Amino acid sequence: MGDSQYSFSLTTFSPSGKLVQIEHALTAVGSGQTSLGIKAANGVVIATEKKLPSILVDETSVQKIQSLTPNIGVVYSGMGPDFRVLVRKSRKQAEQYHRLYKEPIPVTQLVRETAAVMQEFTQSGGVRPFGVSLLVAGFDDNGPQLYQVDPSGSYFSWKASAMGKNVSNAKTFLEKRYTDDMELDDAVHTAILTLKEGFEGQISGKNIEIGIIGTDKKFRVLTPAEIDDYLAEVE
Amino acid sequence: MKLDTSGLESIAPLFGASNELLDGLSTAPAFDLPSNVDLDGFLKETIQMVKPAKGTTTLAFIFKEGVIVAADSRASMGGYISSQSVKKIIEINPYMLGTMAGGAADCQFWHRNLGIKCRLHELANKRRISVTGASKLLANILYSYRGMGLSVGTMIAGWDETGPGLYYVDNDGGRLKGARFSVGSGSPYAYGVLDDGYRYDMSIEEAAELARRAIYHATFRDGASGGVASVYYVGPSGWKKLSGDDVGELHYHYYPVTAGTVEQEMVEVTGA
Amino acid sequence: MSIFEYNGSALVAMVGKNCFAIASDRRLGVNLQTIATDFQKIYKIHDRLYLGLSGLGTDAQTLYQRLVFRHKLYQLREERDMKPETFASLVSAILYEKRFGPYFCQPVIAGLSDEDKPFICTMDSIGAKELAKDFVVAGTASESLYGACEAMFKPDLEPEELFEVVSQALLSSVDRDCLSGWGGHVYVVTPTEVTERILKGRMD
Repeated sequence: MGDSQYSFSLTTFSPSGKLVQIEHALTAVGSGQTSLGIKAANGVVIATEKKLPSILVDETSVQKIQSLTPNIGVVYSGMGPDFRVLVRKSRKQAEQYHRLYKEPIPVTQLVRETAAVMQEFTQSGGVRPFGVSLLVAGFDDNGPQLYQVDPSGSYFSWKASAMGKNVSNAKTFLEKRYTDDMELDDAVHTAILTLKEGFEGQISGKNIEIGIIGTDKKFRVLTPAEIDDYLAEVE
Repeated sequence: MKLDTSGLESIAPLFGASNELLDGLSTAPAFDLPSNVDLDGFLKETIQMVKPAKGTTTLAFIFKEGVIVAADSRASMGGYISSQSVKKIIEINPYMLGTMAGGAADCQFWHRNLGIKCRLHELANKRRISVTGASKLLANILYSYRGMGLSVGTMIAGWDETGPGLYYVDNDGGRLKGARFSVGSGSPYAYGVLDDGYRYDMSIEEAAELARRAIYHATFRDGASGGVASVYYVGPSGWKKLSGDDVGELHYHYYPVTAGTVEQEMVEVTGA
Repeated sequence: MSIFEYNGSALVAMVGKNCFAIASDRRLGVNLQTIATDFQKIYKIHDRLYLGLSGLGTDAQTLYQRLVFRHKLYQLREERDMKPETFASLVSAILYEKRFGPYFCQPVIAGLSDEDKPFICTMDSIGAKELAKDFVVAGTASESLYGACEAMFKPDLEPEELFEVVSQALLSSVDRDCLSGWGGHVYVVTPTEVTERILKGRMD
């Protein structure tokens, strides 16, 4: 293998200054199902495709959007099992913060802590980087927030972002549609339209997931029925 | 079990024991002892209960003109200040003073008892008792109660036919003659000032000021001393109270507040 | 004698109208011996948050250093000051960490929230919080302070009146305690300014 000399050890830089294992992790994300997030004026929406390997799978048993705290939710592109590890660690972190300060963890803090975990897995022995990128949606004293966290441990705040298989098309679409004064309902519509762009087959409440958080600061995953209502509106 | 109370009896029983007039005075009450097996433990507990005036500063010294006696006025129980106006200098008779340190009740009772004995001595012998004699009376009584939990640390100061007299007497039965004493929890601080400033040939004014300052410094350093610094003088014509100053004011008399220091009244601290 | 009474202290915090006052005595003693009369017992955490530590002086200073350290880390990490309630929870957590070998301190926390609402609270040496709407006290003179505050406190006092009440309560309380007093130190904190004053008191 040509590049095996540097791909063997996770912590060895290649001569060109890259850590190839991290590049591979990003590739895993890039080939994952599309996820996206939009920050509206009064809330945040995150959404993802939920393509299942067979129609025999019970789609209600797959939950790609999870809540970390009552006011923070997260979605991923990449490897499902890795995501669950991160969710478990992040929830624990959030609970520890709450136990110490008797106050909900701010979104920035939870994102930072989660990113720190992901970074640690790029530098520790006996482990591999996480094969996921995250979109974290939250609403706290600092208003609505949307963050993306990558396998390298780097994180960014976005007005709207996408990742996964269809990332470039989705981003182009979002760039065209995004406005600063967008309301949460508009954002949900835009999210559905963006997903629809690169969707193979008929979109429905059962093969996408949407999570929203508004001024009530309660993160909530929409039910298939609610999604269907939104779908009817965008038709 | 009955206690040997012979120490309470008059040293010279001139009259018959059944004399009605003196019945209450010369025959001392017989004290019941607690019917407790663990007498030592019981006493320890009781001592703690009946000993409120533990923290104290008292002092007395002899100089050219006579004797100076001074004390603070605080009574405390543990950390609590139960009084700021206790009379710790007990007037035994016009020529003799006693000071109070240790248990308030013990001191008060036995000084009153001593006063009675001194008066009886005076009536029997047609002359006042010497300070030496009076202090020995007290010491003998305290010795007879030794180990039973009395708490007395006192100075007997006065003027008799031999001139000024000063003795230290305590509940162990100890009795010391001396020219300079201080008793109580504040005594180390009082000694510091007293030993530094003492001269035999002081004037009454100088001596009184030295005593007052010694008491003040003791009240400053000792948490269990405070209130009023009283100063008495005993001379050839008996005792006289010279001063009684609130040490709360005395502090600012000795250390006036100067502008610029943190001691200034209600300073607004800059840079807050 | 209890280790909490080794050095002696008196602390009180009171709530006024959009303001609070926190006051302490100035004595540091070793049992009955007075060592210093300019000892600091109230510490500033930030402009609107103050911490009083009664009890063993050495533990108070150590605990204060740990709390300042934790607050500075918080400031760097979160780019904001702690809310009084948050700080109280932190103090409580740090105290409980030493459940079986506590700091011999009873803290008093007083602060103004972002909405200018005063907050006061005290806790025991292992972190059991006690919130109050009117006043909190701590130290060897706490019994006397309870009495004085109970009698003198009125709700919604203006800063100047609050200063008067808290100072009188402190000074009269320490006059009944052998182990505290020797002057007082008062902070009155309003949304716009902090007034710090040294009180002249009995020095016995």
